[in-house]
Amino acid sequence: MIDDAGNLSIDFLVGFTIFMITLIYVATLIPTLFIGLKSNSIDYDAVAYRTGVILAEDPGMPYNPSWETLPNTSDSDILRFGLALSKDTPNILTPEKITRFFCTSEFVYPSDYQTRAVFGDYPYQFNISLQMAGSNVTQSIGDVLPDQDYGYSRRVIKVKEHSNATLDFSNFNVISGQPASNLPLGIYTQNATNQAFSVYFNYSYLLTSGPGYNNLAYQINPLAPSGANGIIGGEGALINLTGLQYLPQNTGGVDTTVNLSSISIYKSQSEAPIGTGQLPFVGPELNSTNPTQFLLYIDGNTTPVTQLPYPVGSNISLFIPPGLLSFMGGGDSSTLLNITMQFNLTDGNGNPQSDWYLNSTQVMPDGAFEYNYTNPNITQPQLVDGVMDVAVW
Amino acid sequence: MAGLSDDAQWIVMMGFVVSLSFFFLALLLNQSTVVGQTTAESVLDFPKNDIRDVRSVMIQSAELNATGQITGGQYATIQNDIQTLSLSEKKAVVQYQIINTNPVWLSIHYNNGVTSYNETYVSP
Amino acid sequence: MVNDLGQLFTIEGVAASMIMLFTTYLVLGATTVYTPGDSHISDMQLEQIGTDALNMMNTPSNCTSTSCVSTLQQIVSETDTNLSAANSTFNMIFLNYVNNRTESMSDNLHYEANITFRDTTDGPNSTTISSYYLASNRNLNGVEHPVRVTEWVIIGPPNFPGIILPPGAHYIAQPRAVLVEVLLWRD
Repeated sequence: MIDDAGNLSIDFLVGFTIFMITLIYVATLIPTLFIGLKSNSIDYDAVAYRTGVILAEDPGMPYNPSWETLPNTSDSDILRFGLALSKDTPNILTPEKITRFFCTSEFVYPSDYQTRAVFGDYPYQFNISLQMAGSNVTQSIGDVLPDQDYGYSRRVIKVKEHSNATLDFSNFNVISGQPASNLPLGIYTQNATNQAFSVYFNYSYLLTSGPGYNNLAYQINPLAPSGANGIIGGEGALINLTGLQYLPQNTGGVDTTVNLSSISIYKSQSEAPIGTGQLPFVGPELNSTNPTQFLLYIDGNTTPVTQLPYPVGSNISLFIPPGLLSFMGGGDSSTLLNITMQFNLTDGNGNPQSDWYLNSTQVMPDGAFEYNYTNPNITQPQLVDGVMDVAVW
Repeated sequence: MAGLSDDAQWIVMMGFVVSLSFFFLALLLNQSTVVGQTTAESVLDFPKNDIRDVRSVMIQSAELNATGQITGGQYATIQNDIQTLSLSEKKAVVQYQIINTNPVWLSIHYNNGVTSYNETYVSP
Repeated sequence: MVNDLGQLFTIEGVAASMIMLFTTYLVLGATTVYTPGDSHISDMQLEQIGTDALNMMNTPSNCTSTSCVSTLQQIVSETDTNLSAANSTFNMIFLNYVNNRTESMSDNLHYEANITFRDTTDGPNSTTISSYYLASNRNLNGVEHPVRVTEWVIIGPPNFPGIILPPGAHYIAQPRAVLVEVLLWRD
């Protein structure tokens, strides 16, 4: 075929032309193969489902100590977000984890959430929202939902609310010389210049005698989240004292001024009831005039108190954050921890004045008010409904 | 055969090469559209909620028995209920036995033909 | 000048085009376009919502040592004494769980619920299964594509003395395990 005459045979041309025309025709048909294909959108629903499961059913990583207790500087140690209370309680979330997860000042959308909740190499856009029943407030992170198709996953959840002890003294009345009879269970007031009110937590009781066969969802547990022996699922404890203005009787004719002078923590390894000759609690482990590690609100102020002594009028609200007491107890679950508020009673000029006030040192059997599952003044942890939406596009 | 000319074999060769590349492309595209489907189907197939649910009801009945809130006969009735209903409604064979009553120690067996689950549960 | 020595080229060209055309039509006919319904993703989402809702209904909101009863347990126990009250309670609570969204627009799911139990009128080892109607908010008429979700409920102690199964027929004075079955679909 190869010669130097410069001609191509007609047959060759015909054959080649047929081939080329067919090739061009076939090549224009190929794009119709791609009609149904948008590879990234195929798995939006799958990614949303996976993210929904991770957030609603997994407690997160690290688990012990729990990720929401890590300080702001250790964000890189948080490997995976998870809002569930524990692996055994799926769909039951804790308020601390929710608050930390939705903290947009700390975590950046989308990079921080992509590596810890959504995963995957493709840079998805997403929106995660949570709303509690009966509330108009929706917490959310991420972009606004688009109009076109997006993958979504909706989870019905419950949030474990903190327990609280509410003691109301508005109906206090003292029959002269006798302690009042219509007080909340176990509280005893007496006539003195320095009064102490204590609340104590018996951890071995709290961790083994919980309702629902010790279900974590109903357990009172201020020890965790960083307790030893894998104790998890910690929550805060709230103590509300209201109606305190009715307690002082002002018998000297001068109005008594009450100051909360300190908050102390005492520890005991075993119960030693009053009258056995032993002091139930030893310490203090912490004797503080700086209550900032708690959240202490006096008389309805919205900002916490930062320095004691502080005058007390009508009510005190003390919130013990989860995990705080584990440090005091050395992480030992058999500890009894006692939180004591000391009150100084004076007249208007700073001179000590004796009067009736809150005092639990004579409460049987341990000289303190027990935070337990049966006291009618204690509202037990309860589960509140909510819904969580995950959208990925 | 030596005398036949093979000068134009390259045209047919090009034709073959183009066809083979189409086949390969079609294979790739076919696999990719199945991704979303298999994810959803595997989620539907795996009986996660069934196992959690039946496990929790078994543990609940064992705890009721251990704390004396139901008698042994009533516990046997509930066990029978769970096994019969599970077989007919959920199409899963379910069996559980109490190894120890207090603290509750339970052996659980679940099999729906595709997934099999065995557990020895000890009350915490 | 003209001979048939070059026929080879033509034939090879035609052969190549035949191969390519055949392959193309084979390939175009083999790949399919998936619709969302084919991929069962919507089924997965419905099942997730339904099981979550039933699961949360069967988790008590308040649990103390004396009383630890879930909403679903109360509803199932009430079918014995007051079926219409159980019906409306279940309807309200289930629809609330299943249709609530974080945005302002509610979803629009429909359901039909039954209670399935083991009928022991013939004896304690009977394997007869029966069911009775619990609640629904739309009647099924065959064109919907529902998903079935179930939840186990133990009714009986420590707060209820047992219920009549089936209602009004044979009194069984002891605790039982029943299955609440719900068919859930989207219009």
